[in-house]
Amino acid sequence: MSEQHFYDKDFNKTINDINDTIDNLYLTEDCYEKNKLLNNLRKQIANITMMMQNNQNYSKNNIEPVTQNDPRVFTPEELSTYTGKNGNPAYVAVNGVVYDMTNVAAWGGATHFGLTPGKDLSGVFASCHDGQPILSTLPVVGVMAP
Amino acid sequence: MKKQINSCPNQTEKLKLVSMLANKAIMAIKNGTIKKRNLVWLELTGCSGNIISLLDAANPGFKNLATQMVNIIFDNSLMVAEGQAAMEKLFAITADDYILVVEGAIASKDNGLYNIIGQFNGQPITAYRAINELGPKASYVIAMGACASDGGISAGRPNPSGSLSVQSILNRKVIKLPGCPCHPDWLTGTLSYILLYGQPELDNKDRPTMFYSTLIHDVCPRRPYFDQGIFAEKLGDKSCMFKIGCRGPVTPVDCPVRKWNQHVNWPIGDDSPCIGCAQFGFPDRMEPFISYNTTREV
Ligand code: HEM
Ligand code: SF4
Repeated sequence: MSEQHFYDKDFNKTINDINDTIDNLYLTEDCYEKNKLLNNLRKQIANITMMMQNNQNYSKNNIEPVTQNDPRVFTPEELSTYTGKNGNPAYVAVNGVVYDMTNVAAWGGATHFGLTPGKDLSGVFASCHDGQPILSTLPVVGVMAP
Repeated sequence: MKKQINSCPNQTEKLKLVSMLANKAIMAIKNGTIKKRNLVWLELTGCSGNIISLLDAANPGFKNLATQMVNIIFDNSLMVAEGQAAMEKLFAITADDYILVVEGAIASKDNGLYNIIGQFNGQPITAYRAINELGPKASYVIAMGACASDGGISAGRPNPSGSLSVQSILNRKVIKLPGCPCHPDWLTGTLSYILLYGQPELDNKDRPTMFYSTLIHDVCPRRPYFDQGIFAEKLGDKSCMFKIGCRGPVTPVDCPVRKWNQHVNWPIGDDSPCIGCAQFGFPDRMEPFISYNTTREV
């Protein structure tokens, strides 16, 4: 699983979504529905723009090779520097996977219900969000060292 | 007035809902199809902000509520009776049908001695005793505001008085209207609904879904800025306040539509972030209310 792989997958998915939305726009006659679809379209285009920017920044900074076959591995010490403050992104580990919360709406100001990033929050995640399909929506940046 | 470009029914109908319900209840009481109910208002460990908020209600105003919808039996801020006479009214109502509205948390430490709401037959009556006597017998209990709903500011760290929410004392259904303060419409709407039809639809935290179902972030007028990544750097900036710590994305309530002070404005409309006052966990878990050194671009 590489960063490039995530990028391609998200990119293709968004392109598919855009095509679906356009198909639906041809079909609908209801003006509310149409507005909703147009809104979706705008959101999807914004997603693509964001992805392209991320990808450009990513290759520009060249933090690590873009085509890397193994996920990035974090030690707890490394993770602790990703606090979402002073230029560092906001990373949180849950069940061994490291997620990027920097641009996740529910983590405004890089805090969420008194929690701060740079940590393994598996325990609180389980007690607060057990059974909710949240993790699959979050961008993954790596895994914790075993 | 500026022409409303947005005629989305979610916006327009929601605003009409409360006056529609209240007028329907008032008409039904006039026609005799339903009866006025008794209302007991307990002001416990808090700041009285919720009764002040309710006095600012409009369309219907507080006067309509107090004269045409309910008989207010007890409210220590508003009633004429005082001392022993007031307390007699309070305890006499337990023999009758009444709806209980509670604002403020319940100080529980040292048998509740941190909050005494009056003297009855020479005995000090603590908030703790009052809720225990009046809570179980009420036909409905409505926790109004952050403190009653979840402890709120009164239970904020280090919580020296051991303040608790109404639900942690009462083993029964408590309808919760969190907010600091609660919007007058949220109470008037809930009360009207109860008079007309009984308990309104509640979510899994017992908040009426007619007010507490949509995240602020999902209908925020600054949402296009969020989607494009245009973020405010300080209070007063006109863009999305996500990076300075906006709690709109975790607070499901209708402020963007309803607004405050008789539908005039609301925090985000005045360039300051949502502090999540209507979400459980406020204030401790919503802090910090503002952050300045958050990472913007990665
Ligand atoms: C103290 C523990 C936590 C509490 C009390 C809590 C509470 C909440 C609540 C109440 C919401 C939903 C707001 C709403 O829609 O009404 C929410 C959303 C969210 N939380 Fe948490 N949370 C906790 C821990 C975490 C952790 C550890 C993570 C990170 C992995 C996390 C990630 C999220 C995300 C991504 C959302 C948005 C979900 C969506 O878009 O539907 N939370 N949280
Ligand atoms: S200001 Fe707050 S609620 Fe509005 S879009 Fe930004 S983060 Fe969401």
